[in-house]
Amino acid sequence: MSTSKGFGNSHNRAALLFLSPAFLLIAAFVAYPVVYAGWLSLFSWDGASAPIFQGAGNFVRLAGDPIFWRALGRNLLVALSAMVFQVFLALCIAYCLVRIVPAFSRIFLFFYLVPVMVSEICIGLLWRFMYNPYFGLVNAAFGALGLDGLKRGWLGESGTAFSAVVVVMSFTYLGLYVLLFVAAVRSVPESVYEAAEIDGAGHFTKFFSITIPMVGDAVRANSLLAIIGSLKTFSLVFVLTNGGPNHASEVVSTYLYKMGFGSFEMGYAATIGFTQMLLTAIGAWLVFRYLKRAGVGGRT
Amino acid sequence: MGAVRRWTVTNTVVLVLLTLHVLLVVFPFIWMIYSTFKTNKEFMRSVWSLPTSFSLDAYVGAWSGGALGGYAVNSLLIMAGATIITVAVATLAGYALAVYRPRWMPAVELGLTAAMAIPAYVALVPLVVMLRGAGLLDTHMGVVLPTAAFNVPVTIFIMQAFFNTLPRELFDAARMDGASEWSIFARVALPIARPAMFTAAIVNMIWVWNDFLFPVVFINSPARKTLPVGLTDFVGEHITNYPVMLAAILIAAIAPLVLFIFFERQITAALLGGAVKE
Repeated sequence: MSTSKGFGNSHNRAALLFLSPAFLLIAAFVAYPVVYAGWLSLFSWDGASAPIFQGAGNFVRLAGDPIFWRALGRNLLVALSAMVFQVFLALCIAYCLVRIVPAFSRIFLFFYLVPVMVSEICIGLLWRFMYNPYFGLVNAAFGALGLDGLKRGWLGESGTAFSAVVVVMSFTYLGLYVLLFVAAVRSVPESVYEAAEIDGAGHFTKFFSITIPMVGDAVRANSLLAIIGSLKTFSLVFVLTNGGPNHASEVVSTYLYKMGFGSFEMGYAATIGFTQMLLTAIGAWLVFRYLKRAGVGGRT
Repeated sequence: MGAVRRWTVTNTVVLVLLTLHVLLVVFPFIWMIYSTFKTNKEFMRSVWSLPTSFSLDAYVGAWSGGALGGYAVNSLLIMAGATIITVAVATLAGYALAVYRPRWMPAVELGLTAAMAIPAYVALVPLVVMLRGAGLLDTHMGVVLPTAAFNVPVTIFIMQAFFNTLPRELFDAARMDGASEWSIFARVALPIARPAMFTAAIVNMIWVWNDFLFPVVFINSPARKTLPVGLTDFVGEHITNYPVMLAAILIAAIAPLVLFIFFERQITAALLGGAVKE
């Protein structure tokens, strides 16, 4: 900062000019629509006839809408499972790849990243085969284990639909976090491990007492990424269950989609999105602050 | 780094566990690939076994039976448009943040991070209203502009991370020679930035190609649908011939996979550059 003091003003002006196309694009297609969603949430509107002003009516309705709150709860469960089965599992895998079988790390990383590259629609369609009640692989596996009682239509039953979707999410996004953690774990200096090895530390000790504290920044960043991603989730749920059966796997995005473009309750759909965004902001901020205070990110 | 370690039981156990796990992760893709070589009769007889014959009928059926080719062209156009806009805009912005480091940079970074955290569906209803007003609903451009806007923040961070690696003397020297700020960018920065722009373009291509929410909502005409959206229609229509269905899924998945196979290094670098920023 101090280095640019000499020609501060002209630099700021140049910076502003270079940034202006990005500002304009984001303002027009991200910021303005978000504010507009707040405005639309004050109306009831079918998308065609004149909007009818509702005041806080949509918010009152939303507050008492159990489908919305359950959907939001599922988004949080997705986030929780992402922390365990994507972030934490990825950190374990990254440790193994870097510290235990480094010769194979590149090839493993490649295959873990395959689902990250492919469209969620393709992945969802493939998993519909895996979960097929008649010939699906999941049922076949339980049959082979002699657990015929566990065979079921995983995506079609309200008891299992949501869990089945969450399992697919874990498989799909894991690779991104493996990649991010491999880079972080690699950056931990060898000497730190050597010191621990002299004390006779095994992999388990080294993982928990060296790796995790040393990659705290990456843990915090990736957790934030996972939580934000979980609140955004749409395509996999849409293609696997579309929130069904009977809202059993509904998340906020699929509920908004149904309200806005199925029932044409555009105002209420805007309310759902706007409220979700406010809660996302508050949630992300709280988690960030908690992690900071808990010292996960610090070097202690 | 460090001494070569002895291969132990631990290594073997870890290797076996990781192999089993990664097989589980990629199994649906492997199964998809070999199943497309089956006939429907063979598929129905045993769903999970390897093909006994080598039939390309499924690909012929998928390509001729549906509008996949048209969907692919639409995806390609939207991908090209959104990627070009995003990378151009983000290169300028990333350069400005890395090289000028304006006083108000922390505010900009916070704003970009916030924009990254906003779920696209929050903007869905307003965007439909806006696009309809501008006559862009049900057009390629109507998908391109919002898609580009939502991908700009993370792409800025990718480009900023690249420009941060360049020594600032590079630009100061040109400045001493009296070059204008624009010509420093165009003549000095842009040529060096080409590989980084390429990298950012590759990941954007994959994101846009796979995107579903905006295309499914903004486009109604079958003739303008993208591949993932068209694929869901296609699957509904071909529910009885599974190898054809799988071949269609494979056709939709192949472009990003080919990009990944050829540009693995660039893609992983871009994902690291954009995400490490947090």
